Amino acid sequence: MQKYLSQENFSTLLEKLIASGKRVVAPKLNAGTVLYEPLKNPAEIVIDRMPRRSGKEAFFPICEEIISYGKEGQKVTVTDIDPARFPETVLVGVRPCDAAAIPMLDAVFSWDYRDEFFLERRKKTTVVGMACTEADDACFCTAVGLSPGDPKGGDILLTQVEGGGYLCRAQSEKGEALVAAHAALFSEPDGHKSLPLAEPQTEKIDLQKVKKWLDTNFEHPDWDSIATRCVGCGACAFVCPACHCFDIVDEGTEKSGTRRKNWDACGFWKFTHHASGHNPRDLQPKRYRNRIMHKFKYYDDKFGQRLCTGCGRCIRLCPAGIDIAAIVEDISKK
Amino acid sequence: MCDHTNKNIYLPYLATVEEIIDETPDVRTLRLVFQDEKVRDSFNFRAGQFCEYSAFGAGESTFCIASSPTRKGYIECCFRSVGRVTEALRRLEAGETMGVRGPYGNSFPIEDFFGKNLVFVAGGIALPPLRTLIWNCLDLRDKFGEITIVYGARTEADMVYKRELKEWQERNDVRLVKTVDPGGNGSEWDGKVGFVPTVLEETAPLADNTIAFVCGPPIMIKFTLPVLEKLGFSDGKVYTTLENRMKCGLGKCGRCNVGNVYVCKDGPVFTAEQVKRMPMEF
Repeated sequence: MQKYLSQENFSTLLEKLIASGKRVVAPKLNAGTVLYEPLKNPAEIVIDRMPRRSGKEAFFPICEEIISYGKEGQKVTVTDIDPARFPETVLVGVRPCDAAAIPMLDAVFSWDYRDEFFLERRKKTTVVGMACTEADDACFCTAVGLSPGDPKGGDILLTQVEGGGYLCRAQSEKGEALVAAHAALFSEPDGHKSLPLAEPQTEKIDLQKVKKWLDTNFEHPDWDSIATRCVGCGACAFVCPACHCFDIVDEGTEKSGTRRKNWDACGFWKFTHHASGHNPRDLQPKRYRNRIMHKFKYYDDKFGQRLCTGCGRCIRLCPAGIDIAAIVEDISKK
Repeated sequence: MCDHTNKNIYLPYLATVEEIIDETPDVRTLRLVFQDEKVRDSFNFRAGQFCEYSAFGAGESTFCIASSPTRKGYIECCFRSVGRVTEALRRLEAGETMGVRGPYGNSFPIEDFFGKNLVFVAGGIALPPLRTLIWNCLDLRDKFGEITIVYGARTEADMVYKRELKEWQERNDVRLVKTVDPGGNGSEWDGKVGFVPTVLEETAPLADNTIAFVCGPPIMIKFTLPVLEKLGFSDGKVYTTLENRMKCGLGKCGRCNVGNVYVCKDGPVFTAEQVKRMPMEF
């Protein structure tokens, strides 16, 4: 079901969603940086710049309370979190590379034990994606089998059209419900022509070949040179739409406080550091190897797909200039 | 085995510290009783499984359940005080409250060992993950053949479960061989002097119809596995537990993996055959 949504009606839609009390999260400027954050008014949305961090934090916040506790005398009480924590949300203007990562995270957070912090938010969120009309040097979604107009992971995909406005395709029950609830804002798509989509300048990488090499080359001298520049800052994991590692820490005193889930990164030396002092990944190349292995082998072994959508954020942000697309492409040619 | 009754998988049970036993100057056992009667009745685990134990305000730590599933009404954990959480757990007094999440992970397939001889090989603070199984087997003594325990520590003082070692030594249905590293023996030491792999080789348990269990520091395991092989144990007949750093214990937080194996979900119990197929990253 394809519909047309004018630019004006798009703003009206956002306005109505905000007015209805839903949390409307979209790329917006925060101190000069574009981030996915709750909108206060429709004018705040920024669609022509790639958000610095991915959309995953709409479901998996950087820091999140998982229990609170208190102690009075000898008596300790633990309090579960309030389900009202998870408001009905519409995530708007999501890049296809960010949307495609959401089902990847679903697999992790529902694997046997269900992490309701993630899954409740997921259930209560409608994902409205926006096809990309521009790509930069770091974009490589096409190299990992996705595309700037890929609908994966979204409930609705918007595509910009010539002369303004969007073609809107609902692709799930949630998406159709959102369109149906605001039917008056949409019209027939006839005569509207979509803008040309972005063309990332990367060749498709043979990920089967990458996987095959990784299957048999855990030990290989090239790992040292591949990771030689990594400084272990963890930025790649923090901006990645698919990285999901976290830490669990208490904040507070013995008397009262909260337990929290905080983003973590396999690039940090302490990530795997044992209490005994032993560290299975004691050197940076081993940690970087884990990053590549997790994304292109381990996750595939468990869930049958790769844990990378080619958003290019890690390439844009790496202070040492590490280019994961180039690394994976090299591996595919080994 | 998974507890799906709690919607919040990170919500711990509350447990009271019922008894504190100092095993060595820095290793302590806590006996814990769940405060909720329903949990006390429904908390079932198998030897080999682990929990996330928490001191509120300090955080969570991962240890195996050191007591046997045959001993009902309580669980025990055993830890060395080396960090923020273990120091805080050590400050708890009898009657105080801590948190417990679990039981998590796989377990020893004890039914597969019925009718077989068992050899337990442990070093230092790695006895607890085998002690749960040792008592489990001793409480079902008729189901097993000969039971041999080889336990070593740096010094006599570093040995954990000293009272139980004495008990095992006195039983005529257990063969206990205890050893300390050279120089670790006091004047009244009545065990052997030497490293665990060497002592195991001297003890020479028969491999026929026998299962071996090895837990210890990586260096001990490294030198013990070849000895077992020499004694005729095939890799599928040797079990160990891996002890990687964990946070969630549920296969999500992403740090305990060895290759594509998640120690928290696929382990912590593995055969030597499985371990040898893993990359050397533990």
